[in-house]
Amino acid sequence: MRKKKEKEVITYKKHHYVIIVFLSIFSLIMMYPMGWTMMTAFKTNADIRLNRTKFFPREWSIDGFITAFEKAPIEKWFINSVFVTVVVTVAVIITSTLIGYVFAKYEFKGKKALFLLLLATMMIPGQVTMIPRYLLVQNLHLFNTKWALVVPNLIGVFSVYLAKQFIEDVPNSLCEAAKMDGAGPFRIYWSVILPNIKPAIGSIGIFTAMRQWNDYLNPLLMLNDIDRMTLPLGLVMFDSQRSVDLSATMAVATMIMLPMILIFLMFQKQFIKGLTMSGIK
Amino acid sequence: MKNNRFVALVMIPSVLYMFLFVVFPVVYGLGISFFNYNPANTHNTFLGIENYIRMFHDDTFWLALKNTIFFGIVALVLNLIITLFLAEIISVIPSKRLKTLFRTILFIPCIAPVVGTSMIWKHGIVATDGMLNAFLKLFGISPHNWYLTQGPLLIIIIVYTLWADLGYNVVLFSAGVENVPKEFEEAAAIDGAGPLQRFLYIKLPLMGRTFAFVAVMTMADYFQMFTQFNIFAANGGRNNSAMVLTNYIYRTSFSNFDMGYASALSAGLFVVVFAVAMIQNRLMRIEWGYE
Repeated sequence: MRKKKEKEVITYKKHHYVIIVFLSIFSLIMMYPMGWTMMTAFKTNADIRLNRTKFFPREWSIDGFITAFEKAPIEKWFINSVFVTVVVTVAVIITSTLIGYVFAKYEFKGKKALFLLLLATMMIPGQVTMIPRYLLVQNLHLFNTKWALVVPNLIGVFSVYLAKQFIEDVPNSLCEAAKMDGAGPFRIYWSVILPNIKPAIGSIGIFTAMRQWNDYLNPLLMLNDIDRMTLPLGLVMFDSQRSVDLSATMAVATMIMLPMILIFLMFQKQFIKGLTMSGIK
Repeated sequence: MKNNRFVALVMIPSVLYMFLFVVFPVVYGLGISFFNYNPANTHNTFLGIENYIRMFHDDTFWLALKNTIFFGIVALVLNLIITLFLAEIISVIPSKRLKTLFRTILFIPCIAPVVGTSMIWKHGIVATDGMLNAFLKLFGISPHNWYLTQGPLLIIIIVYTLWADLGYNVVLFSAGVENVPKEFEEAAAIDGAGPLQRFLYIKLPLMGRTFAFVAVMTMADYFQMFTQFNIFAANGGRNNSAMVLTNYIYRTSFSNFDMGYASALSAGLFVVVFAVAMIQNRLMRIEWGYE
């Protein structure tokens, strides 16, 4: 009897070749649209008109990319996107670890209430406050500048929460020892806390950078000039103006997606680790 | 530790900042929902609760609400089922390399901007001469202009969202699935539990926290989806059949500049998201409370 059951476990495990075949097909289907986009960017528009769904170009052409660069300020969109993403990510890492550090390691009046308030703000969907935020940005004279995407995003509530959770796990004895040695709060933050929560920093950085790079709603609300747009908004503008020129649109789409995908593939291990971490905490 | 100066140095600017950029917009938004508010006006008339009354009589609002809830629930449930399934079968593969490979591939659509992938689907798959019609042709189904359909367009947006979003939760669930000790499963197998039973009764409850986290985050995300709706159905689709609350708020406030009414709609969205979060919280506590 026992033998039979053990055998069942083993046969279940033996199904993995079926699973591998299934997952391979599934992965191909998942990747197909991406591959198609990159291929379409190298097609001529005549070719696309003839048969849009074909995978490989009939003849390879870089006209799509040339049109894209000629007709759209892609380099500017790219620089704007990089600027906003880098500034916000660095700021969020600093603010969330500092605030998390204070919540995790310091005692002060009203701490519980403040933390609850912070958690409560996590419940507020960003979409609900889009009108007042737009008006606020206008009143601060940030409208139609890249600062409109930076200034309102310097603190990420979820990041603060994540940082606090991780900093609580740093042993108090380490902080106390540093304090005995005469280290001030910033010194403890810099040489004790930060080195001990590197995975959390990675996780916060990845989350924030992805969100900023991919953000579409905020640029849509806050930016007007073509030259000041970020890549996602730029792509939509480009598409709406040149919808017949599919090859160029797909060239722009490829150029928007490729940097993120390449960075992901390069740091894939850290990415996955960082994401997993946020789910467990 | 105690150091009031340091605490004040960090917390005072942070709290002020949060008030300005998070709390104040909520209050302000609620405030203008009682006005006929248009930023171009020199004078905005106070309307009392008129915007809210208008909302209750607004068919588009109810349709958008229905679509938001339909989209949120269907996409969430399908997402959880598919990603749990994928995470589980990937975990069975013995080769570590293959595991990583599959997780990486599934994650690639998540890393690409939603705008980019929506654009791909718009032109490559959903377009009249796109892949969807080419595929259906194999079964003898004549091509459709999907942007003029009612129900199917919303379904297409759900399928797109699943495609774009699966990898994320697969990665999150993978950690949960792999953390369950092998002995538990083996013991259950010896007691006669099949793969499905083992998964439902042993693994799932053991990854309760991860599951709750993923479900809550995904739900919050799905009820606020905007980008793909703005790209597939900027005007809400035929007869507003693919109109969701976020897009309706956007259109009302930024195409018509009827910001007072749009703020009332925002309050409506807030109530929906909040209510769903509460219900979910309840369900989770009952289901996973014995952890």
